[in-house]
Amino acid sequence: MEADRTGGGAVVTVPGLLLFAGFALVGPAAAFLVPSTLIQSLLTQATIYAIFALGVGILIRQNGMVSFGHAAFFGLPAYVIGAVLPLGLMPPELIIIGGLAATALMAFLVGLVIVRVHGIAFGMLTLAIGQAVYEAATRLRGLTGGHDGLSLDLPRFLFGLPLKTFQQPGSMLIVTWLVLALMLAVAFLFAKSRYGLLSEAIRDNEERVRFLGYRTLVPRALTFALSALVTAAGGVLFALYNAFVSPETVHWTASGSALIMAILGGASAPWGPVAGAFTYFFLKEAVGSFTTHWLSIIGVSLIVVTVVFPAGLVGLFDRLRPGNRSQGAANVG
Amino acid sequence: MAIQVLNGLVYGALLFALASGLALMFGLRRIVNFAHGALYMLGAYVGYTASLQFGFWAGLAVAGLVLAALGVVLDKAVFRPLQHRDPLTTLLVTFGLALIAEDLVLSVWGNDTMSFAEPQQLAHTLSLFETTFPIYRLAIVGFGAAVAIGLVLWLRFSRVGLFVRAASHDPVIAAVQGVDTDRVSALVVAVSAALAGMSGVVAAPLMSLAPSMGADILVDSFIVVVVGGLGSLGGAFITAMLLGQINVLGVVFMPELTSLLPFLLMIGILLWKPTGLAGARL
Repeated sequence: MEADRTGGGAVVTVPGLLLFAGFALVGPAAAFLVPSTLIQSLLTQATIYAIFALGVGILIRQNGMVSFGHAAFFGLPAYVIGAVLPLGLMPPELIIIGGLAATALMAFLVGLVIVRVHGIAFGMLTLAIGQAVYEAATRLRGLTGGHDGLSLDLPRFLFGLPLKTFQQPGSMLIVTWLVLALMLAVAFLFAKSRYGLLSEAIRDNEERVRFLGYRTLVPRALTFALSALVTAAGGVLFALYNAFVSPETVHWTASGSALIMAILGGASAPWGPVAGAFTYFFLKEAVGSFTTHWLSIIGVSLIVVTVVFPAGLVGLFDRLRPGNRSQGAANVG
Repeated sequence: MAIQVLNGLVYGALLFALASGLALMFGLRRIVNFAHGALYMLGAYVGYTASLQFGFWAGLAVAGLVLAALGVVLDKAVFRPLQHRDPLTTLLVTFGLALIAEDLVLSVWGNDTMSFAEPQQLAHTLSLFETTFPIYRLAIVGFGAAVAIGLVLWLRFSRVGLFVRAASHDPVIAAVQGVDTDRVSALVVAVSAALAGMSGVVAAPLMSLAPSMGADILVDSFIVVVVGGLGSLGGAFITAMLLGQINVLGVVFMPELTSLLPFLLMIGILLWKPTGLAGARL
């Protein structure tokens, strides 16, 4: 058991570390090399949504479950920050961390209920729960500002950095990119951990794993919570960058977009949803200049990818590298 | 109070007409049609355009026929080729179709909400329980009841209904016994799509036309089929009625929480019975 748990070889290797360091430097490099604020801002947004989609992808990869309601976890920390900040009870940094923890905890509790339901019914439930959060965001006007949204009255310094670091595209690109790299590392290490392997085994055959003497409900709920936590980290960056949150942030169409990014990129490797998010944003930008039929284009792309290239960009990449097959291909599609 | 119960029946009837199609399709093909809300929306818009020319009833009939034809195409072009793939594939493909349908409606009819007049014959009110109640709403309850009774009679007593039940129970055995499951499936998807489209027309005078109308009611009908037990018509019926009542009684007793009640109901029931009220096999 211990010996083969990583499929042979160390989890953290020197080439792996170099690759990771190289990846982490891409964002800061782009921030300095790309002069256009417009493109910097596009990159920053894409990075935030890449973190969002990464969370969705973790759930697909580890649990084999598709969520149509992750926007709830994206928007929730933003609302927590916006609602608790004016009370002045604790330092803003603590509120941010508390918002993340609260989101993960809520996801865990919700997960305990809904991961019992399998397959497509799970997707329908996440949709319903996401819409419940949306309804709450529009109705609880005192806390959330209703349809008008909530402006976040952020302090002038956060984590020792001036607030404008988080609100100018150039510097925020560096911050978001580093968080993205961190989250990718978390996703990668989780996938290689004993726990991650257990969750994959449950994904493939839950009954057999239960037969081996493992409890399966809590691991699946914990994976759900981790995926929500990663998405919530994206939500915090979104809140800092825009200093504003509205019900649109938690609407199911946002969940749908993140899911599309994860599917386009392919969820069988952690980097798939990230690549999917960047593709989505740049495609949208490129297409937006000559047609208004973005919905059809993304609908057709989704259909083509699910039917013809179920492994998404990850699959395409693997095909280009001869003799190298994707390990642990998540069975979506 | 009694009026509120009636209003609950109106929404419950609409939900059932929509959810019954979802339940039938799940029973037969083990798929969830994410585009069901889009069919409802398309039906409403098609019916609207036809009714401008020929009146409400023709609009209702045209919506039913067009959507039935669309249902056959959907089954032959999408569900049948994908029947041996993971059900998630079909879910995602229908999600893509829903996006395309929304774009289509936006391009043809625009983003403005439009109002759809009820038929003149039903544009009256009735004195009921010391107040007045629009007859059209009663007609919607009648529509829901007709759908429920019609489906039960069709499934219980017709030869095709027997085939549908057999194929939902076990498609392979049914096929071995000589049931043409592909034709049965095309028929069921056509009926479901027609019901969705006609529900759209029936609901339009009440809720006005907007490209988002499909997505809103889709969430509620998903709750209905999951809580009722996937694939179960009886479960869907009970849950739709329950949800209808919860919606209006919530407005009376706890207006702040109304829109959350269906979700709380769903979580409560799933904690108690993870497979839903009717305990369908998943």
